[in-house]
Amino acid sequence: MGCCFSAGSNQDDPKKLLIPDPNLNKIPTNGSDRNADSLPSNRTDEQALLTTILQRPALNIIDVSAVISQGLEQHEYMDRARQYSTKLDVLSRTLSQKKPVPLPSLSSQPHQVLAADLVSYADVQQVSKIAAYAYSAISQIKVDAKEELVVQFAIP
Amino acid sequence: MTTALTQGLERIPDQIGYLVISEEGVLASAGELENDEHTAGVIMQMVRTACRFRLHGAAEPLFKRMSVMFEDYVYAVTISGQKVFVVKRQNNQREPVIV
Repeated sequence: MGCCFSAGSNQDDPKKLLIPDPNLNKIPTNGSDRNADSLPSNRTDEQALLTTILQRPALNIIDVSAVISQGLEQHEYMDRARQYSTKLDVLSRTLSQKKPVPLPSLSSQPHQVLAADLVSYADVQQVSKIAAYAYSAISQIKVDAKEELVVQFAIP
Repeated sequence: MTTALTQGLERIPDQIGYLVISEEGVLASAGELENDEHTAGVIMQMVRTACRFRLHGAAEPLFKRMSVMFEDYVYAVTISGQKVFVVKRQNNQREPVIV
């Protein structure tokens, strides 16, 4: 390729890319070191530009899978599991000691209540009819799917 | 004590059996429900569920007596003094005949 260098007036000029890149100064470079290369060659600049293009989305993208897999260390995980199961044991013990709800008293004259007239035939028919209506109504409940439940993210 | 509980039940018209149940188990049984622990268990579950129905969070249960009606017989159930009383009665009601 050859080497182009001139001393004198050009030395004070700031080094410029052939293709100006406005984001150039904001992005740290990990690859090519532009400043060290004083040769304004197309290839290097193209390389630099491609690197810039790659770096921009790499900075903006949030890698969800990477976030999730930031798990606990093994011993930390075991510690927490032990803590939680101890807490659950204590709670389940206190829960089982709770007394069951006592039977309410419905009447002070049980024999009288039980000896009273039975439910009339008409009442039974009416209740059966109401129950049939309710059953029919419930069986007509259905999901009205208007949209897809699962969609693809479209990245333009 | 059992006689006091069961005397009134014996005299119920059309009765063909009864049970007196407490939290611990069956206290007395007679007629077609004699020694019928299975029916006792089912009825206890039903009456406990029914007692949980409350209208607008009212403190008292909604009912005095629960009737489980079959074609030829009825189980009438009530609760008094921490005991569940069940009586099996004949169901003679039929559709009224229009003449």
